[in-house]
Amino acid sequence: MAYSELIKNFNNIRDYMREFYVYGFKSRDEYTKKSARSYDDERRRLESWLGDYMRFRRAPDGKNVFLSIDSRVTRHNPLYKAWKAKSFTDGDVTLHFILFDILDTPEKELTLKELTDRIDDALSAFDGPRTYDASTVRKKLNEYIAEGIVESRKDGRTVYYRRAGDPDGIETDALSFFSEVAPCGVVGSFLLDKEKEKESNFAFKHHYITGAADSEIVCSLFCAMNEKRAVDIEYISRRNGGKTELGLIPLRIMISAQNGRQHLMAYSPRFRRITSYRADNIVSVTPTDVCPDFDALREKLDGMEKNLWGVSTQGFSGKRLEHVEFTVRFDPEEKHIPQRLEREKRCGRVERVGENAARFSADVYDASELIPWIRTFICRITSLEISDKELEARFKSDLDATYALYGLEGDVDE
Amino acid sequence: MIFSELYSAYYNTVAAVLREAVRRPLGKGELRAIVEENAFGESVLNVIPALTGQKWRLLLPDGSTPLENVPTMPKTTLEKRWLKAVCSDPRMRLFSDSLPDYPDVEPLFTQEDFRVFDKYSDGDPYEDENYIKTFRLVLDAVKNKYPLSIEMTGRSGGTTRFTLAPGYLEYSEKDDKFRLIGRGKVYGKTVNLARIVKCEKYGKPFDAPKNESDSEKRDVVFILTDERNALERAMLHFAHFEKEAERLDGGRYRVRVTYRKEDETELVIRVLMFGPMIKAESPDSFVELIKERLIKQKNCGL
Repeated sequence: MAYSELIKNFNNIRDYMREFYVYGFKSRDEYTKKSARSYDDERRRLESWLGDYMRFRRAPDGKNVFLSIDSRVTRHNPLYKAWKAKSFTDGDVTLHFILFDILDTPEKELTLKELTDRIDDALSAFDGPRTYDASTVRKKLNEYIAEGIVESRKDGRTVYYRRAGDPDGIETDALSFFSEVAPCGVVGSFLLDKEKEKESNFAFKHHYITGAADSEIVCSLFCAMNEKRAVDIEYISRRNGGKTELGLIPLRIMISAQNGRQHLMAYSPRFRRITSYRADNIVSVTPTDVCPDFDALREKLDGMEKNLWGVSTQGFSGKRLEHVEFTVRFDPEEKHIPQRLEREKRCGRVERVGENAARFSADVYDASELIPWIRTFICRITSLEISDKELEARFKSDLDATYALYGLEGDVDE
Repeated sequence: MIFSELYSAYYNTVAAVLREAVRRPLGKGELRAIVEENAFGESVLNVIPALTGQKWRLLLPDGSTPLENVPTMPKTTLEKRWLKAVCSDPRMRLFSDSLPDYPDVEPLFTQEDFRVFDKYSDGDPYEDENYIKTFRLVLDAVKNKYPLSIEMTGRSGGTTRFTLAPGYLEYSEKDDKFRLIGRGKVYGKTVNLARIVKCEKYGKPFDAPKNESDSEKRDVVFILTDERNALERAMLHFAHFEKEAERLDGGRYRVRVTYRKEDETELVIRVLMFGPMIKAESPDSFVELIKERLIKQKNCGL
């Protein structure tokens, strides 16, 4: 098939986008194990959509292509562009604009026959007019009824069609803001495309944009939650590339402001427990039955939050909960340190230990999730105790390894 | 469904073309300009021939259209559901007191359907009336480009007064805070909105200085060892920066991250989060900052 800038299926480009943006060190040869043409096509598409952010580097194993985006500078998530590249037929686009030209107000109602005649009239201006048969027009109208942009009314055996009403939206500044920070923000970007003023007055710091690629998955999970439905998901293992089908009851989406990952918290009837699943590893979501236990399961998850540091509900030790505590010291003028502990903790408690020291302690499902945060206090940690002694030992040996990396083995003076 | 041609750049481009063509016939140059402005880099190669060659029967050979109305499309159910969902966000009050209602749809999500689980707990007070008033005035000043006279509490609790030419509002989801970025003579260029006690329009002309030095960009280069999934964790963690990664031998990678000078301390801490999996390589000044912290840690008796 000839190359097209537009695509029918999002999943391929979803993978390439992530590879180019998150990693960006792979050569063409590594991508072309499956299909060289597929790689060339996807690279060309991304270049067409995101040309300003594409970078190239010569490496010993060939040319590397990557996306480099300073999301503090770009006011609108550039990855949303991929969602605006759905392919369509010549007939689709023609029919779309003629239909809405005919159904120009919600007050105007027409039958299928009247609509088909009016479409023929509009097309008669062109040489060799193209006609749409009634079944094609009906199919398109039904698609639009499902999308909520056309409404129908039955009177006896006659069906009347009209355009749906268009309630007010929210103001452009709010759209600019929420299209970047709200879940499924790409929908806000669709609305923003229709606004005259596209310049945003907002910039975003610590802004992770990768979640955009998983918008459809997250949207489907929200829809299932809204209906309290179970889902079947296709889940891919990043380690071996294998796909698994899982039956789950979706309970909540957990979004990280510190790496942009989105996780599904869901109850697995098979394993009889609540676990997290990375949204970027979910390939498809199919809603199934309404789940009568949804409210009780969500309540259970609510109750778990006091022991949840991140998204993991099971540590390596195999114990239900693990205890973590550490103490930091600070100078009298470093009052922001105990404040940091308070504002950055997600569960647990902080207590002062004397004038210039504070202790954090918590009981959590997975103590290993705290390790990166504890490391942010390096230069002032005076004690650390973790009930999982293996993890505690690893923290200390990692610290020794870090000293060694910088040539700081043995005694050093401040 | 999110992935639909109804939201596509091509449909929006055709709408932009027809918006003009219903008024008067479009010249080729105008057509090209509209397509270039609205669609993707290569779209002119597809959209223009499809319209002028009448594959899409919407534009006549003279550049006019048989359509009679400016093209519009009502909001889809998905759009209304998303709008209804964001209207329940407490930050929405910052923008307006009266919010639209969409009685015929369910919200796409509720505040109970998701959590931003690792944002800091001392976010801005979005329901505080004074904060809302300040936010609205600041946003108006940003949009209409007028200087503000600001009274603010500092970290030590004292009050500072200064004039600032607003540039834009910056939001950090991690901090859950808005900052006003502008240019002023006395005070730096970043003002936390929650610290503003009083804010009003500065009625006189204000000659704002440039604060170029604060935005100075720097590169840090580090070597990453891909153990315990460190590669993926680090690449995602640093994804929001301009960055470049290069594969070395033995599961190691050289990563260059571009950051702003004022964020250096934060970046030092973030590099340390990865423990022995990341070693800062350059510049020397950055490496020294890491070493300083490690030396202090060695003397903590852990």
